[in-house]
Amino acid sequence: MQADELSRTFSALGDPTRLQILSRLAEGEATVSELAAPFPISLPAISRHLKVLESAGLIERDRDAQYRPSRLQVEPLGAASEWIETRRRTWEERLDRLDRHLQSLQRGTQSDD
Amino acid sequence: MTESTTEDLRIERVFDAPRELVFNAWLDPDQLSGWYGPEGYTVPRESVIVEPREGGRWELAMVPGEGGGEHPLRSEIVELVEPSLIVIENEEIPDHGIGVTRTRVELHDEDGKTRLVLIDGPYEQRMGEMAGMGWNGAFDKLAVIIA
Repeated sequence: MQADELSRTFSALGDPTRLQILSRLAEGEATVSELAAPFPISLPAISRHLKVLESAGLIERDRDAQYRPSRLQVEPLGAASEWIETRRRTWEERLDRLDRHLQSLQRGTQSDD
Repeated sequence: MTESTTEDLRIERVFDAPRELVFNAWLDPDQLSGWYGPEGYTVPRESVIVEPREGGRWELAMVPGEGGGEHPLRSEIVELVEPSLIVIENEEIPDHGIGVTRTRVELHDEDGKTRLVLIDGPYEQRMGEMAGMGWNGAFDKLAVIIA
């Protein structure tokens, strides 16, 4: 996944209404009016949120169906949740190298490790 | 509702070396260029700038061995207590959707060895918001779907 896609995913996730919409869609597909039901905001406002989620690839909507039910697309979410794990692996590997570096320092041998 | 601190990355590691040695490895440019870069990257010695004081710069660049653009890391030392604590504040990385983060390196003496506690973040402040929204349950389901 490209950095700009990941950035779009995070920015799409950074809104309480959109997070709730995604939580609802985790239960199964839903139409705009079903998604709007819990919110005190207008259908057009919900539609705008859905557009943001769609352009981030987080949901997909049927073009032809009358009510255009939305479905969750999990792939970008997977990438988002992997991000911290990626950072963890980077740090673990870095500390491995620090360990080797400290060992070679103490052996009195200069190392490029 | 935002509990960013709960999403900090925390790693502990014990090194068979005294604290002073570990402490210096984070501040000596010659040493940093040797060990800091991720696998497949090098950190050119001339890219490393460390001003070992609170408010000083802590900067380096990671260059991929396969070619391509370098990744500059521009940070500032915000806390420095020899030989037990280094806290640096990292400039935001807009390309990755990451705001300002802090890397906290605590060094605890354990009978001549050093326990390093690294706390890094917040990487995903929005994950904290998700937790506050009861998003975790949905996320668990997603994890099952993704797996």
